[in-house]
Amino acid sequence: MAVDTGARVGEVVEASTDSFVAQAYRLYEAPPLGALVRTGSDTPTFGVICYTTTRGVDPNRRPIARGEHLADEASVYQENPQLELLLKTEFNVVIIGHEESGSVRHYLPPGPPRIHAFVHQCTDEEVRKFTQDLGFLELLLNSRNASDDATSALVRQAALCHEDSQIFLVRAGKELAMLLQGQGMRLNGVLRRLG
Amino acid sequence: MALDFLKVSSQIEAMAGQVEARGPERAVKLDRAVRELHEADPLALEDKRHRAKTTFLVPGITGPLSLQVPCPSTPPDFAVLASDGSHIDVSRHAAARCFLINIGLVELRYGAAPGARLESYPRLYSDPEEMAVVDPQDRLRPQLIEGQLLGIVRGIQELQALADFAESLPEDMPALALVDGTLILLSFLGQTFPDYVKRQLLQDEFLAALTRLRILSEKRPLAVAGYISLPGSTEVVNALRVSLCPYDPPDCDAHCRVIQPGERPCDEVDGLRDRDVLLRHLQEGERSGVFSSQSSVVRDWYGEHEVRFFYVNLGDEIGRVEVPAWVAQNDGLLSLTHSLIVDQSRRGHGYPVALSEAHEQAVVSGRDRQEFARLVEESLERRQLTASTSEKDLSKRLKWL
Repeated sequence: MAVDTGARVGEVVEASTDSFVAQAYRLYEAPPLGALVRTGSDTPTFGVICYTTTRGVDPNRRPIARGEHLADEASVYQENPQLELLLKTEFNVVIIGHEESGSVRHYLPPGPPRIHAFVHQCTDEEVRKFTQDLGFLELLLNSRNASDDATSALVRQAALCHEDSQIFLVRAGKELAMLLQGQGMRLNGVLRRLG
Repeated sequence: MALDFLKVSSQIEAMAGQVEARGPERAVKLDRAVRELHEADPLALEDKRHRAKTTFLVPGITGPLSLQVPCPSTPPDFAVLASDGSHIDVSRHAAARCFLINIGLVELRYGAAPGARLESYPRLYSDPEEMAVVDPQDRLRPQLIEGQLLGIVRGIQELQALADFAESLPEDMPALALVDGTLILLSFLGQTFPDYVKRQLLQDEFLAALTRLRILSEKRPLAVAGYISLPGSTEVVNALRVSLCPYDPPDCDAHCRVIQPGERPCDEVDGLRDRDVLLRHLQEGERSGVFSSQSSVVRDWYGEHEVRFFYVNLGDEIGRVEVPAWVAQNDGLLSLTHSLIVDQSRRGHGYPVALSEAHEQAVVSGRDRQEFARLVEESLERRQLTASTSEKDLSKRLKWL
């Protein structure tokens, strides 16, 4: 489902120095893999959606199949309106920088965001400003919580926010080649996903 | 020590063997009961019932016992409300005298604009005035709200919460308000409690909440019902007993007091429950005729809310549905109740989904109870108030060797 760019999309429910988990306000409405999000007002913290899950709110209640006799998937939710409240979508975010005195810093903020901090999906302008310099890639590639799929997804989405996407992709490719020196197979994998 | 299952399992096996052995005899009784269901003349039976003096409860008969009403269709848009509750009782082992009632409430809307509300309302009671029912004429002997009485108070609050929820429904939306279990506060049957308790709890609170729902139903199609899954009741079977009784009028004490159990003429249907007979008789989705409860508490106190009931075949089981007389006497509301109970059970794999979600909202797990006790203790200790739990309770928690 489409999410308004810049919209408030969820709230932090678990936080640590280098990552946080947020619950999406609406079921299935997490920003896409690789989307840049911002949280916190005093120290705006930026991160990338690296992993999204949808499951029962109560860990002891497992969803069961309900649609065998229904025409389509939408009907399952229409005929069982309680499901929207009994399921939740959460997204894991790897922190790749913050803002300090109006300047972008591509390193970890002094502390994790607060629980219940609002999470916004960044606007195109915010993405462009944050990815102007490619320093965030180092943090992302070295994070134990991020996948290369999330890295390439972020680069692909960021390219669309820059005036010349092609130039941005070439610049990002070179930066990746430098950071992944000696890891040819991994570099190939990331670059292949940029296409 | 845990229960010694080695010793218990052989006893369970023996019991299963006995049940199996009774199978053929039970099948004969079931055939007899279903035949009597068809053959009994409702007018004659109702007349006989009026004159009978039985040791068991026989419901009022309002139509043919063999009635099978097919499931009506549901309205295009409708809502189902349900409430359930649980409580943490007063514990003399605990640090403070208090109890907690947690009410779970659910509203599910179906049709063009589906939606849901799932809520729970926990409330702690520690004010002595709120924890007792007091006789205005004799303030020295209050009836403490705990144990059985707390269960009744909780049941009352479930209905009151349902009435609160129903007030917010749009006026044009047909709705069914469901409570878990019976509408008859059975515990009063035993005459355990003095009249002022019945007046305050039953009349001023429970029946007053039913009246609120009845008034709401004047403005919109709103039915209220109590749903009992796998009911153990035998009232319809008792009516068959009266029908089979060769004495007129039937008088158990006069004719059968000294007869060996199993030898009485009405024992042809002995040991059967209503659900056994009706599962054989009703097709899936069908309901039985409506019967009226003759329990003394209903007769003495319920007035316009006199409880009527019917059984409905929900596929895997027979459910018992209790409704106030004003629902039973309104064909539209009765049909609405029937169709929405069947629809809810279909959506809930055999059990009304609104009730099962209300239960989930209300339930207080064993772990929650421990956490509650811990919080009470901690809170009192922080204020340097004595918070000693009993040594017995401590010894249960610390399983040392």
